[in-house]
Amino acid sequence: MAEEGKVSVDDLGGVVRLREEHEKVVKDCESRIQHWKKVSGDYEAVNERLQTLPDQLSYDIMVPFGPLAFMPGKLVHTNELMVLLGDNWFAKCSAKQAQKIVDHRTKHVKSELDDLSKTMKNFEARVGFVKDLETFSARKKEYAEIREEVRQDIAVTKGRQRVAHRPNSKPKLETILDLKEEDEEENQEESSDEGSRKGIVTEEELWARLDELEKLEELEDEQDRLSDNADMNSEDTSSSSSEEDKEKGRRFCFSCKRIESEAKLDLLEPKKVRINTGKNTMLKFSERKEQKEILKRKKKNGHNNGLSHHELHKITTPADIYRLFVDVKNGEPVPRKSILKSRSRENSVCSDTSESSAADYEERRLTGRSFSHDEATTSDTSDGVTEEDSPTGGPLHPPNRFEAFSGMVVEKDPMTSAVPHMTIAPPALPTILERRQEEVAVPEVAPPQQAPKKVSKFKAARLQRT
Amino acid sequence: MSSKGRDNDDSSEWQSALKEELNKKIKEQKVLVDELSNLKKNRNVYIQQRNSNIFFLADRGQTLGSCKKELDNMKKELQDM
Repeated sequence: MAEEGKVSVDDLGGVVRLREEHEKVVKDCESRIQHWKKVSGDYEAVNERLQTLPDQLSYDIMVPFGPLAFMPGKLVHTNELMVLLGDNWFAKCSAKQAQKIVDHRTKHVKSELDDLSKTMKNFEARVGFVKDLETFSARKKEYAEIREEVRQDIAVTKGRQRVAHRPNSKPKLETILDLKEEDEEENQEESSDEGSRKGIVTEEELWARLDELEKLEELEDEQDRLSDNADMNSEDTSSSSSEEDKEKGRRFCFSCKRIESEAKLDLLEPKKVRINTGKNTMLKFSERKEQKEILKRKKKNGHNNGLSHHELHKITTPADIYRLFVDVKNGEPVPRKSILKSRSRENSVCSDTSESSAADYEERRLTGRSFSHDEATTSDTSDGVTEEDSPTGGPLHPPNRFEAFSGMVVEKDPMTSAVPHMTIAPPALPTILERRQEEVAVPEVAPPQQAPKKVSKFKAARLQRT
Repeated sequence: MSSKGRDNDDSSEWQSALKEELNKKIKEQKVLVDELSNLKKNRNVYIQQRNSNIFFLADRGQTLGSCKKELDNMKKELQDM
């Protein structure tokens, strides 16, 4: 009995508090309504003034001179107003336009007032209801409250308990992609962690999969050891098994997908991604074994290489920017040249050999063209996401390049047939500077054939004289 | 029962407060009208633009008339309450 009494007292306290809260809301609404009423009144006054303001050319007014002082003055330009749009931005407009703006704003104020009055009514009703409840619980005892206590230990938890991320771990997708980075044991750990986190893949499945992968890896390892120790550097020339090729194809598919559409990426099911990455990891490891010698020295770089395929297109951290602008060649990062700087050395050599057959008269045109030519090539490289995958991509698009220099074809030349040849040639050197240095160093050794390719008219003339 | 009584108290309080306010306003308006009617003829009357600090020159007679009207309206309101 005593307990019952206590409960009812508790109830009463709760009800009273509820009523107080509701009343608070009502009062808040009232104050807000007052504020809005004041605002609407101000707007009405302004509107009234605006209606008659352009009626006269000028008005005699008292001009405020600080908060307390005034001096007589005249109001002119009665049809020019500056309307505050907000955030200290003003719009110059006529009185009529200003009136329109005022009307628009009063509409907004009205709707606000309506909303507030609605909520106020609603809460007033609630206050009334709570008052009724108070009288009920105060007077009558036959109404019993039904309560069901929820014990903490039975609290329903679906699946496993959630585990917090490790302090340095990244978001989920990132971790999945970064699996390659970790060592094998850690990889297992992490993936198992993930499994528990997701609850999609059971632990048994996961372990079975991992065992399978391990076996495969060992097999491949042995194969590699038997077949080729010689071709360590090049993946492509190594007699990789057909299975591995398949794997690679799959990986490429994956990366292609990613490049094609990021939206699709988001739609990818987590499970699918996981499996894919699982294959990736396996592939990664096999590759690693293949190029053990290189990657032992520079594991990180190798990993970078792997990542550059997947994450080239999305920049979330400064590291990504670095990745984006660093080409990886043979497992070593080569910083991409700025478009303002000269192309790398290898390219220049390439162009040398290919253009060595070019006739003398071409030189001048080339010098004229070199700038635009350079631009085209650099833009190509910056666009190409998988540039390193196809280093011969440059010469593959001759028509584009041709179009880019269509303006130059019009030039008067004894032999027009040379133009297409020119255009097909691989990216020419943007830099005249390097070449010049070469020339200065060995002017006699490299006569007109090589040297004058990038030489200006004057320089060429001078050379010829000498 | 007690709650109802409280309710009544609230509303009556609120009404009395409103009345007081209105009474004060009426007093102010009366003073204003008296002042305006006692002004010399060559005096200037300015009306403040609401929510700003600018005063527009107004006609004395017109202002007096409008002020009287307002006073009448207020008195009516007080009677209604």
